[in-house]
Amino acid sequence: MNTRVAILTAVLALVSSVYAATPPRKSENDRASISTPAVRSSAEADAMRIQGEQRFHANCGRCHTAPQKFPPRMMATIVRHMRVRATITDEDMRLVLFYMTQ
Amino acid sequence: MGRIVRTYKSKLGRAAVWASRVIVLCLLSTVLNAQTSVPAAETEQPVPILTGNAGFFTNVNGGETELVPSINPVLLVPLGDRWLVESRAEFTGEFERPDGGGPYGGKVEQEIDYLQLDYIANRYLTVTGGRFLTPFGIYNERLYPIWIRSLQPTPLIFPLGTGSSDGGMLRGGFSLNPKVNLNYATYFSTLSTVNKFESGRTAGGRLGFFLPGARIEVGASFQKELQDERANAFGFHFAWQPAAIPLNLRSEYARSHDGSGYWIEAAYRLSQVPFWQKAMRRTEIVGRGQQLFAGEISEDDAKEYGLPDVNTRQGDFGLNYYVRDGLKASASYSRRFNSDGNVNLWTLGLAYRFAFPLGRVGEQ
Repeated sequence: MNTRVAILTAVLALVSSVYAATPPRKSENDRASISTPAVRSSAEADAMRIQGEQRFHANCGRCHTAPQKFPPRMMATIVRHMRVRATITDEDMRLVLFYMTQ
Repeated sequence: MGRIVRTYKSKLGRAAVWASRVIVLCLLSTVLNAQTSVPAAETEQPVPILTGNAGFFTNVNGGETELVPSINPVLLVPLGDRWLVESRAEFTGEFERPDGGGPYGGKVEQEIDYLQLDYIANRYLTVTGGRFLTPFGIYNERLYPIWIRSLQPTPLIFPLGTGSSDGGMLRGGFSLNPKVNLNYATYFSTLSTVNKFESGRTAGGRLGFFLPGARIEVGASFQKELQDERANAFGFHFAWQPAAIPLNLRSEYARSHDGSGYWIEAAYRLSQVPFWQKAMRRTEIVGRGQQLFAGEISEDDAKEYGLPDVNTRQGDFGLNYYVRDGLKASASYSRRFNSDGNVNLWTLGLAYRFAFPLGRVGEQ
């Protein structure tokens, strides 16, 4: 009995983990916003922008003044560089990037 | 026979239970990895960049004038979603008039500060290999570039524990809870005498806690020398940027067998001054107090590392004017007190930060 329960549990865990680990399929339209946090409304975008500005001042402002906004592809590189250099958290990096590219 | 079958079934059952436990554990780690290894958020594919800074400063040290042009190019090459190659070189001229007069002359120092490959493994961990800035304190990694530093003269204790290392490093930053972020770096460096890639055999690390609400960061660093005297070095850092006023407070303490000391710096942006606001919001005043206690270090080594070989106190005052994004005019005055004689140090110059894409970026 224990054996069956254990095997059943293992199979269920296997199926659920494979499902969880499978990345969602991207359509062509999604390619322009790779891994961007999904924004459902303008209110949500505004909230993220405010959050991003706060994170920007809290993290980036510790060392340097606010730079101008660069094109998004440059900002993506700069933010990755700063993530490593200043050990910025993943969430802060996403919000700062959203703020700096809007 | 029946006993043997029962024993066999019992063993089979236990084996199945253990196997299922192992599988569940593996799968849990897979699920965790699937949740934590989301690629870095990027609205667009990142493009290689050539950035960095250039500057020209005139320094007057105890009456001797020195012209110091410098350029520090930084190359950033992102690869895929998780990789980054980054490098910074340093070209600094030190031009003085020869004794007895004549035109300015001197040498141009060339250094490779870092040349490293980063792999962002997940939200908790970045793996770095190559030549990197030694993570000891905050000045070396974050505040050193001339367009960032509030005062052009580096702190007296700057050479303690810092520099560049050749080896491997694990680092990262993540939220412990909404009020506290943790950041860490731990590394091993190998002995290298290769030209431009010199480093010592050391190991160490840094741990910091950042409170985003209060905008306070505190942390500590440790370094163990794995050669020569096998000495230890340690340090502490503190930074506070109060939200109510445009003030930036920073401080470091470091101790090693070469010496020990501290610096405390306050930079205040005059944006809240009620008159001449257009000019005032671009202006920053800076003050720094610092002290160094000389350690067991020879005069030659001290000169090589840029450390005073006697106990020294110094007060620094500076003025920065941010002309426009990336362009800063800086002036500073320092008074140094030690047994070699008290001297005045002046700096005046410009620092400029540049950034160019090395590929198509499209519309902003």
